Amino acid sequence: MARKILVIDDDPDVLLAMRLPLERAGFEVIDALNEDEGLEKAKSLLPDLIILDVMMGTHTAGFQLAQELHGPEAPEALRRIPIVMVTAVHQTTPLRFRPDSDYLPVEAFLEKPVDPRRLLEEVHKLLPPE
Amino acid sequence: MQGHGSAPGPELSGSPQPDEALPSTAWLLIALRWAAGLSILLATAIARWGLGIDLPWEALFAIGAAVLAYNTALAWDARRPARPLPAMRRALWVQIALDWAAMTALVHFTGGIASPALIYFVIHVALAGTMLAPRGARALALLAAALVGGLAALESSGSLAHVSLHSLGLDSDLYRRGEYILAVLFFFTTTALTVAELVARQAQRLREREARIHAMSEAQAAFTRAATHELRAPVASSLALVRTVEQGYLDEMTPPQAVIIQRVAERLDGLRELIDDLLDYAASREATLSRRPLEPVDLGAALSDSVERERPLAEEKPVTLRVQPGEPVCVLATDPGLSMVFSNLINNAIKYTPSGGEVTVRWVVDRPAGWASVTVEDTGMGIPADDLPRIFEEFFRASNARKSRVIGTGIGLAAVRAMVEHYGGTIALDSVEGQGTRVTLRLRLAPSEKSFPSLPSP
Repeated sequence: MARKILVIDDDPDVLLAMRLPLERAGFEVIDALNEDEGLEKAKSLLPDLIILDVMMGTHTAGFQLAQELHGPEAPEALRRIPIVMVTAVHQTTPLRFRPDSDYLPVEAFLEKPVDPRRLLEEVHKLLPPE
Repeated sequence: MQGHGSAPGPELSGSPQPDEALPSTAWLLIALRWAAGLSILLATAIARWGLGIDLPWEALFAIGAAVLAYNTALAWDARRPARPLPAMRRALWVQIALDWAAMTALVHFTGGIASPALIYFVIHVALAGTMLAPRGARALALLAAALVGGLAALESSGSLAHVSLHSLGLDSDLYRRGEYILAVLFFFTTTALTVAELVARQAQRLREREARIHAMSEAQAAFTRAATHELRAPVASSLALVRTVEQGYLDEMTPPQAVIIQRVAERLDGLRELIDDLLDYAASREATLSRRPLEPVDLGAALSDSVERERPLAEEKPVTLRVQPGEPVCVLATDPGLSMVFSNLINNAIKYTPSGGEVTVRWVVDRPAGWASVTVEDTGMGIPADDLPRIFEEFFRASNARKSRVIGTGIGLAAVRAMVEHYGGTIALDSVEGQGTRVTLRLRLAPSEKSFPSLPSP
């Protein structure tokens, strides 16, 4: 059975750009266009990996969702799912993220614009090819 | 979008801030006072021994020496950096009060109401006009008139011994003649009031204009940032989509299709670069304009952050990217800003260095001097000597860079310099065409305090 990846991003074109290489690599891709839909699908479908845009409707939407998925109150089933966070270095949020920040519970970072090759590299680090 | 709502606007019509000019006003006063003190000494000596004028030279020497003495103390005091504005204001008023005391003494010892030194008061009235609103300047002009009038009253009533300067040809009785005193006071007061009014009004207009220009530049930078930011998302998603096609995640393309897709990807990449540079540039201008406060930033962390960000590009070329760490230290900067500076410099170095070349980043700390100096050195194409003087200009690109296939916008270095200067640091660039480029930054070390106010630009 193909492993499932949930991609959460409010830009349908970005979703498509990630879906194409991921499907080519044999993953099943589930889309979510906002954080509520993302949380819903994460809970109901329990994907093997979540790719999350840090900046959706608000500066902190992706950040809050990561907390809900991986925070201390999150159920174990959600906390086990690795998260790749998509960020833009040049975004003008007051917050800056580093992969080593202990307050940001994600496994990897990916920079915008997403390069398909890098995307697969990061994904394969967390979900090695079977 | 942070800062979006803070677009400056109506508040500028209210009160312009004369306070920003305070440090330079204080220094101007000190410089003028050296000249004033010395000329009192010199003029007394020439008048007494050169021209043989009989005057109370001991008292005049004492006044000149006193002026120089308190000016020394004031100069020493003004050297302390970055004080809160109320303290600087107070210091300035102390200066003015001391000067008025010295001037009143000078007028007294050079003939009171008949003294040729009377006109010196007008200098200070004009000076106050540059710092005060018209009402305050008028009040100060009247205070000067009251001082002169009071001195005249004391001398004519005999409460204060009058000093007569017969040798100057002044009628020794003038100080007792009411009509003369009234006439002098009338002209003195009207002159002082007029000067105060004129100077204060002009100064106010200048300050208002300055505030308006400042607000316009700020709004412009905020607009650039907001507009550019809106461009970023569509370009990023277009680029991501085109890359999936370019890298063959869809069906095979015919060779002409592949060429077109590759060209589209290259143009989008250029656009992305332009947007990123513009964002950096707008951020650097906003930081400079808003005088965003500086904080201690870990130099090593900011550098390694940027090095790691640029490493994929170096590996792609490939170019050897080396870091020679110096002693751990915190410099005065802003956190995202410093990484922007380093990323820009390292990115430039990698971009303009051919495959197989080297980029070396190192820093050394000079604690006694209070500097950390950071060097980014490459073995790249270099910059022609003719282009070096213009290399920090906005949108300027060196001729050899323009001819190359390297994508660039010419605003990265302008943003870097604006930011470094905002930090109170310096940037220098030396380069030999065909051999490489070295950029050297000097950044101020952070004082041990946790927070540090933004310094006025030097």
